[in-house]
This record gives sequence, C-alpha cells and structure tokens, in this order.
Amino acid sequence: MTLAPRRGVRTASILGACSAIAACAAAVVLAGGALRARQNGGGLPSPSAVVKPHAYVSIEPVPREKEFQAAVQVEIARGFHVNSHTPSEAYLIPTTLTPNLPAGFHLAGTMYPPGQLEEFPFSPGKALSVYTGSVTVRLRLSAEASAPLGATTIPMKLRYQACDSTTCLPPVSIPVSVQFEIAAAGTASRAVHPEIFSASSTK
Amino acid sequence: MRKSTTALLLLLALVALAASIYSWRSLFRNWRGAGSASASMDVNEPDVTFKDLQGQSVTLASLKGKVVLVNFWATWCDPCKAEIPDLIELQEKYAGRGFTVLGVAMDDEGKKVVEPFVQTTEFDAGGHSMKMNYPIVLGDDDIATKFGGLFGYPISFLISRDGKVVKKYLGSLSEEEMEKEIERLQ
Repeated sequence: MTLAPRRGVRTASILGACSAIAACAAAVVLAGGALRARQNGGGLPSPSAVVKPHAYVSIEPVPREKEFQAAVQVEIARGFHVNSHTPSEAYLIPTTLTPNLPAGFHLAGTMYPPGQLEEFPFSPGKALSVYTGSVTVRLRLSAEASAPLGATTIPMKLRYQACDSTTCLPPVSIPVSVQFEIAAAGTASRAVHPEIFSASSTK
Repeated sequence: MRKSTTALLLLLALVALAASIYSWRSLFRNWRGAGSASASMDVNEPDVTFKDLQGQSVTLASLKGKVVLVNFWATWCDPCKAEIPDLIELQEKYAGRGFTVLGVAMDDEGKKVVEPFVQTTEFDAGGHSMKMNYPIVLGDDDIATKFGGLFGYPISFLISRDGKVVKKYLGSLSEEEMEKEIERLQ
C-alpha cells in the first residue's frame, strides 16, 4: 500500500537532483559564454562606456541678455586616460567639446583644463598630456534677446580617444546636453553648482 | 518512472556538468587575462578584401600558404607604434621563410594620414633605423566586424598556412612568443 508513494517520492527526488545538476551545468555554460563574450572584446569596455559626462549650468534661470556658463564634468573610468585638449604630439586625438547652439545663444569661448603629464609603459621617456579621473570643460555663453523663453536644451558632442596602459580604444563622439530655463531680461537668477563654477574649480 | 529512465536522466545531467567544467578549464587555459593577452583560436580566416595604399585589392585568401600576422593599428595609437620595431624585425627575419606581417591601418582618415606616416616614419629596429617593411592595407568597421569586432588596438591575429586563425593577441606582442609561434607554424 505504501510502496507506490515511496517510489513516487524517490523518483521525484532523483528528478530533482537531475534538474539541479542540469541547472548548475546550464549556469556554468551561460557564465562561461558571458566571459567568452567579454574576452572577444579582450575584457575592454566599449569606447563610449569609458567616459561618463554630466552637464551643468551656472545660473538658474538664465535671463535673456545675460552671460552664463555651462560645464561638462567628464568622469574617466579608473585605469584609463584620454588625451587632453592639447596633446603632447600632433598625431594624438584631442578631447573636444562642441556645442550645437540653438538660435539665440552665443559661444564666447570654451575653457579646457590643462592636461597632466604622464608616462606610460608604451611611451617610456615621453610624457603625454592626458586627462584622468574627473575633469571639467566649461563653455562661456550668452543668451541673446532673441533666445526662446522657457525650457531650453543645448546639445553637445564630446569627442575623445581613450587608452589604458597597454591598449587604445578607437576615438568616439558621445552626445551630452544641458537643460535650463530662459527667463525674460532682468529676471533675478541664482548661482548654482558653485563646486563646478567657482574660480578655483579649474580641474 | 522506470529506473532506466531516471538513470539516463542522471547520466545526461552529469555529462552536461562535466562538459561545462571542461569548457571553463579550456577557457582559462587559453587566456591570461585582460589588457595584454592572447587567446588560442581555431577558426577559418574571414573572407576579407583590403585596399592597399596604391588602391589595389589584397585578399587574405591570396596569402594562403604563408603564416600571416594580421596587425590592426592606427597612427594615433602609441601602444601600436611601440610594437612596430618588433614587427619590422619579425618581417626581416621570417619573410624569406613563408611569413608576413600584414599591417591594417584603422585611421578614419585612411590613406591621407597613413601613407605619409608609412613613407616617412623611421623606427629603431634592432639598432637599425628602418621604415615599416611589411605590407600596409587600410581597414574599416566592416573589416573589423569580420574579425569579430575590435574594441582596442593594437590587436593581432596569427593565421596558419592553411588559413586558420590560430591566435589572437590584444595589446603589445611579445617578440619572443611570436617567434616561437611562427617557428611552430613553419
């Protein structure tokens, strides 16, 4: 009388064990596949994943007929560097920030931080001007009398070429944009993000 | 359920587990980690046609019968330039023994920047000032895709005489290791 249920229990536990082993095998194969996929790229990230840009504006709102600044803080992945805006050699690809200004805005200038001089295993005895860690590029802008009122976006392109100590990634342009409000001329505005726009924050 | 069926299921599960463990062991045996690394391969060479600096077509298939080191580089890539003296020496030493380096320049500007670089740049190869002495062709994204997609440079592929890609090197090559591989494939 009790034999059938016991056999059922035993069969269920054997099936459970098989399923568990098969699941382990599948997990191992899938994880191996993921690792293989990484290795096809040599464990390197894609060029666009090496840098994370964050955009800021210096005042809110921005009144028409007023100068202001926009900044792009560039976070570079640990272990990587990008060439500075003024690389040590003419053949190296500089970091550039290019805004695509909507009508009603004027670009007075772009301020790039100075590069750090560093030697790498592939350039013994030759220091290269590079950015590492976090650097900030600033744009001096003005909103003209014709700037459209309300929410505004300035799209930009950040171009850079990154390397680690043994390998270089292809140059890439990534989009970044800054959003802010345009108000009527003479509207009161307040300074924002002083940590980015104070005179001492030149890095 | 019959005993024979459960035994078969158990056996299949164990075989799957053993196969997956073997797969991982081979994966780690062939790879020394990211950065400067090599991986063994065994795939047919891709069907690729390059353009050389004179605008002539060069196919990989036309090099069958030779051991070929396909080296992807760019004029803006300092680690690529750092290994060029070793590639010059390998070409100098093994070109007469059925080997060639094939330099694939990946500059977006193509011939405009690659040709003057190749024609004018001298490298210190074994104490001798030498220009690049191996064939240079132009690469693009389509060609990179045929090689499995290239995320970083320099990257090189070693191809055997019978047209098999047998090794991939990411980062700078070791001249000593390359010599061993070339000798092995002779």
